[in-house]
Amino acid sequence: MAKSSATKDAQALLHSLRSAYASTPTNLKIIDIYVLFAIFTAVIQVGYMAIVGSFPFNSFLSGVLSCVGTAVLAVCLRIQVNKENKEFKDLPPERAYADFVLCNLVLHLVIMNFLG
Amino acid sequence: MSRALALLALLSSFPFLALLSNAFSPENPTDRRVLVLLDDFSIKSSHSLYFNSLQTRGYDLDFKLADDPKIALQRYGQYLYDALILFSPTIDSFGGSLNAAAILEFVDAGHDLILAADASASDLIREIASECGVDFDEDVAAMVVDHTSYAVSDTEGDHTLIAGDNFIQSDVILGGEKIKAPVLFKGIGHSINPANSLVMKILSASPSAYSANPKSKLSAPPTLTGSAISLVSVVQARNNARILISGSLSMFGNRFFRSGVQKAGSTINHDKSGNEQFVTETSKWVFHERGHLKAVNVRHHKVEEAEEPSIYRINDDLEYSVEIYEWSGTSWEPYVADDVQVQFYMMSPYVLKTLSTNQKGVYYTSFKVPDVYGVFQFKVEYEKLGFTSLSLAKQIPVRPFRHNEYERFITTAFPYYGASFSMMGGFFLFSLVYLYHK
Repeated sequence: MAKSSATKDAQALLHSLRSAYASTPTNLKIIDIYVLFAIFTAVIQVGYMAIVGSFPFNSFLSGVLSCVGTAVLAVCLRIQVNKENKEFKDLPPERAYADFVLCNLVLHLVIMNFLG
Repeated sequence: MSRALALLALLSSFPFLALLSNAFSPENPTDRRVLVLLDDFSIKSSHSLYFNSLQTRGYDLDFKLADDPKIALQRYGQYLYDALILFSPTIDSFGGSLNAAAILEFVDAGHDLILAADASASDLIREIASECGVDFDEDVAAMVVDHTSYAVSDTEGDHTLIAGDNFIQSDVILGGEKIKAPVLFKGIGHSINPANSLVMKILSASPSAYSANPKSKLSAPPTLTGSAISLVSVVQARNNARILISGSLSMFGNRFFRSGVQKAGSTINHDKSGNEQFVTETSKWVFHERGHLKAVNVRHHKVEEAEEPSIYRINDDLEYSVEIYEWSGTSWEPYVADDVQVQFYMMSPYVLKTLSTNQKGVYYTSFKVPDVYGVFQFKVEYEKLGFTSLSLAKQIPVRPFRHNEYERFITTAFPYYGASFSMMGGFFLFSLVYLYHK
């Protein structure tokens, strides 16, 4: 009885989360997919390192850090272009995107140098 | 006239120059000129077998009375002798300019000393011995007495004639041939200073021995007992000077050389005591006919290269070799041992390897430079009982990889490369989708 009610609660929670997320603007959903992709790639690399060992450690670091950096920058972009976030209401989304591009260029420049 | 005088001076200096060329030198480390100081000249004949064995081995013995006012160890800052034999146990003060300090200075300059004390040893002799790390029994009348390992004689006696056979286990000091007969000893015992790590007992008393006046009753327990008593000790100083100190002068004498010996409690009656073999072999050691090592031709290079580099890179494979020779009294012979080690050292040894030998004096090994850069040293620190110590150090820097020496495009790292490039591609794709959606 108690268990089935807990399952029901969880289902209700998931359902409400999904319906709330459905109202999210499309541009934010695109950013979310991008972040998930980056995190997924990072996790795969960590698993790979656990299997083959840490030998080209600089390569491993730059591979994982490029993923983490990408995810962090994408999250920053998401915060700045979110209409509901009043903190950045004076910042135009074009400006936020330009910052994002610049930071990505710097990140990948560093990654290429460290990749070995 | 003055030219004739100069010629005369030149001629008279020739024998002196010839004398110098025979002297102790690193290339020819055996002592040649030995000063023998005696209490009286009767010792010269009563110990003639010992002196003869030295003379037949090429030593130039200069006999002097210990109180001879003309004694001098050095002239114009040059030592006239390479070694000193003190067979003058009763001397209170030497003649000439010689004193205990001068003798210790002589040893500090790398020269060798044989000192024999006796039951009547003077304070001067005791002082020289104690400066060398050997403390004779302070009781002037004391002798070493042993009621179980004495030498059997016709008269029962007071058991002060000891048949000693507790030798040090060292072929280099006592010679390769085992000393079968016990050594006759009659004299005073000494203890070695525990603070002095350079002095060692080569003939110690048996556990039942003690040091006391044999003529009086023992009223108090003797201060020196058992195998803590040393009968004969040697010192090898850090400058490789060698010293032999014996509590008995008579053990070097002809009478003990020739006499037979039977140890109490043993049925074996040796025709000849071990004294001659023992004192001859130890004199060979003291005068550097054995156990004097030199190391030459330290070489190192990368594997499959011949030239010695001025710097190594981390993880280089290198080969190291050194030649070690032992002085045999006449020539340098290859030294053969399996315990010579080299260290690759920076604050602590990063590599410690035992060197292989080709039995002809060359010691070699190869190893990989550790994955650490800095200023390293090749170190050989060889200290072995009875041998002169070898201490070699050669400095060599080790550098890290240059930036173009690192390995690139490693197969294992391909997933990481792929991830980085996919992040770049992902960024491009994301920008397209983000900017142009709906």
